[in-house]
Amino acid sequence: MHRIILFLIYIFTLTACNTRHVAIFEDPKFNTGDNMPWASKEYVDSNWRSIRGNTGSQIFWLRAHCKLTEPGEIEEQLGINVYGFGSFEIYWDGALIGKNGQVQTSTQPEIPGTESSSYLIPMELATQGPHLIAMRITQANSNDYDREIKFKISPYKELIASPLNWLSIMNMTAGVFLVAAIYFLFLFINSSSKDKALLIFCIICFLFFALQVSEYIKFYITIPYSYFYTRLEIIGIITFIISLLIPLYLAIQFQIKWKWPMMSILSLTLLAIYMDNYGHYDMTAWYLSLAMWIVALIIVSYAVYKKENGAVIVLIGLLSRLLINYVLYYDASLFISFNVVILCMLYLQTIKLREAEQAHQQNIATSNRLKNSLLKKNIQPHFIKNTLTSLIDWIEESPKEGAIFVQALSSEFDILNQISDETLVPIQQEIALCEAHLKVMHFRKEIHYQWSTSGIDPSTNIPPAIIHTLLENGITHSMPLEDGNIRFHLAYEQHPGWHQFTLSTFAKNRPTTGDRKESTGFQYVKSRLTESYQQHWTFHSAATTTGWENIIKIYHHT
Amino acid sequence: MKLLIIEDEARIAKRIERMSRAFFGTQLQSLAIIDSLQEGITYIEQHAIDVLLLDLNLNGENGFTILESVVSRGFHTIIISANTDRAITAFTYGVLDFVPKPFDQNRLAQAFLRISQPSNALQKNTKYLAIRKNGNIALIDVDDILYIKGAGIYSELYLKNGKQELHDKTLEKLAQLLPGNFERIHKSYIVPISQIQQLLVQPGSKYDAVLKTGEIIPIGRTRYHFLKERLL
Repeated sequence: MHRIILFLIYIFTLTACNTRHVAIFEDPKFNTGDNMPWASKEYVDSNWRSIRGNTGSQIFWLRAHCKLTEPGEIEEQLGINVYGFGSFEIYWDGALIGKNGQVQTSTQPEIPGTESSSYLIPMELATQGPHLIAMRITQANSNDYDREIKFKISPYKELIASPLNWLSIMNMTAGVFLVAAIYFLFLFINSSSKDKALLIFCIICFLFFALQVSEYIKFYITIPYSYFYTRLEIIGIITFIISLLIPLYLAIQFQIKWKWPMMSILSLTLLAIYMDNYGHYDMTAWYLSLAMWIVALIIVSYAVYKKENGAVIVLIGLLSRLLINYVLYYDASLFISFNVVILCMLYLQTIKLREAEQAHQQNIATSNRLKNSLLKKNIQPHFIKNTLTSLIDWIEESPKEGAIFVQALSSEFDILNQISDETLVPIQQEIALCEAHLKVMHFRKEIHYQWSTSGIDPSTNIPPAIIHTLLENGITHSMPLEDGNIRFHLAYEQHPGWHQFTLSTFAKNRPTTGDRKESTGFQYVKSRLTESYQQHWTFHSAATTTGWENIIKIYHHT
Repeated sequence: MKLLIIEDEARIAKRIERMSRAFFGTQLQSLAIIDSLQEGITYIEQHAIDVLLLDLNLNGENGFTILESVVSRGFHTIIISANTDRAITAFTYGVLDFVPKPFDQNRLAQAFLRISQPSNALQKNTKYLAIRKNGNIALIDVDDILYIKGAGIYSELYLKNGKQELHDKTLEKLAQLLPGNFERIHKSYIVPISQIQQLLVQPGSKYDAVLKTGEIIPIGRTRYHFLKERLL
């Protein structure tokens, strides 16, 4: 909850930095040509045009009457901000107060000015009442753009500082997203899982950084008016990509099944918006972000319905857009909504990281548990005490055989000891373990166990003691054939894309009351396979006409 | 003596057989070895035995599932198992002894000796008596028993709730299993000491016990003085 309160404080701080307007402007008038007296306050311009018209590379003049609504003797010096295309000289009541670029003359080409520029109004001329702004302009570049020229008069300090207030906050958030982008990029590069969502989030953070920089770069870099739209186009493209990536990211994080159909519809919608509003940059961004917002809202609402972790926070973040829209004007609203959404996503990302960390801990715990159960295998009372009882009997009755029994038991323990720390062991070692175990069981059960293998590739690895476990099951659940034997055969097959182990038991199956497939032995086998091959394996175990068959199939994956 | 050994480890089964033969000698009338529960149960259905020697973990199956069924029978059961942690539980079900693996001749002989030992020489932890009822097994908490009356090769359990059940074991065998607060007060009666309200001396050196429920049960002449001392 405190996060949301922080967001709100953040938003309202931003609303506070608006400047005072102290002048009322009449619509400007235009005249093509060049005549210095046109700068004069007294000149009568009643026959001037209200539109610029096609001026080509010619010089034209603009005259705008205005009225200062505050007394001129206010302590702060006033300034005027001019927004528009072209290179110009600007006059206040006939006095030159500044230049923007270089007006084209017969001898010199135009040096384009910038779209937004500020000028000091001389103190003595800033009196309450009517004044005249006159501008000597050329718009030799992009002359066909008839962009309206606008003015704003405020205390000069406010005029200069007001965008900086914005800028400081926007640079700060841009910095946050840059750091986040770099952090998540490093995280992605160094993670073994190569989580796509992580990369997408990293890209979103970077694009958002780029978007904020592109939006506010105009305040500290003088962009010639002829490149004004380049910046807006960059912003449009970035907005477009972000609008596509945010829903995609949310769909991945919340595991939405219908994400691709939805993403296709969104892409088409965004494309349609982009084409339809081409040239109306602000509108485009607005509609794009609106489409993004609606789709994101659908995804997140569904995630909330599905009780996904973190979905509620993101939903609140998305809904806060409504409030922000209501309180703030266009640009700010757009950026802050984006900010809020991405902060929510950042929170979501950390939740997912925590989940991944927990899963990792879980894996470690599982591995330890498996190691334990492997170690316990041969010290569990059923195995050890029955073995020892048989052993005593052999030693009492035929000491020589007893000694061989001890050797067999010792070698089984040796191998188990060697493999107990491993997650994968060479197949030969596993086979040696099986052979040692059969020798031990022969002394206990006095049944002839025969062991054979085929197709074994010595370079193959296998999780420790899984064949051994299946062998134990085979011994437990089988009765000898008429010849008094139980035979085991381990076959290995390699194919492109997968390999498999088949352990066949040739014996009579004992009738059982319990479900053999859900035994702890089988759980051990499955856990070991998951530990080493995640989900890329299958395990099949069933009775056959000749006994029993276990098939472990492992799919190769990159 | 008729023995049945249920044990899936051939070597151990042979060891038990050898030691049993050595212990019982010519007294041994029959001895069978079976390596699975199902076959063992079939054997019990078809043959009369005196003692069952049972391994609790057979071919991966839990022998406890049939423990209730075998202890409800007329014969004594001796558990021979590696799972010593199950010993206490086994005793509560009324087994005669629990021989932990690995065992030797002496330990097995000790178990066999219990078969012929009088009840007061034994440590007993039986908490339930398993009875066969309509083909099922029911467990009777020994605390619910008011008294037990011998009826030839069976025993009749009289319960505190007024009900009556039949147990396949003889009164002698039950006396060997029931905990110390159960007293053989007559050749045909076993009563928990706590259920006795008072002792009555009747004319002609005849003694009776009055139970808390008001029922009157005869006391054996030879047991009266012992019982009186115990009640004091």
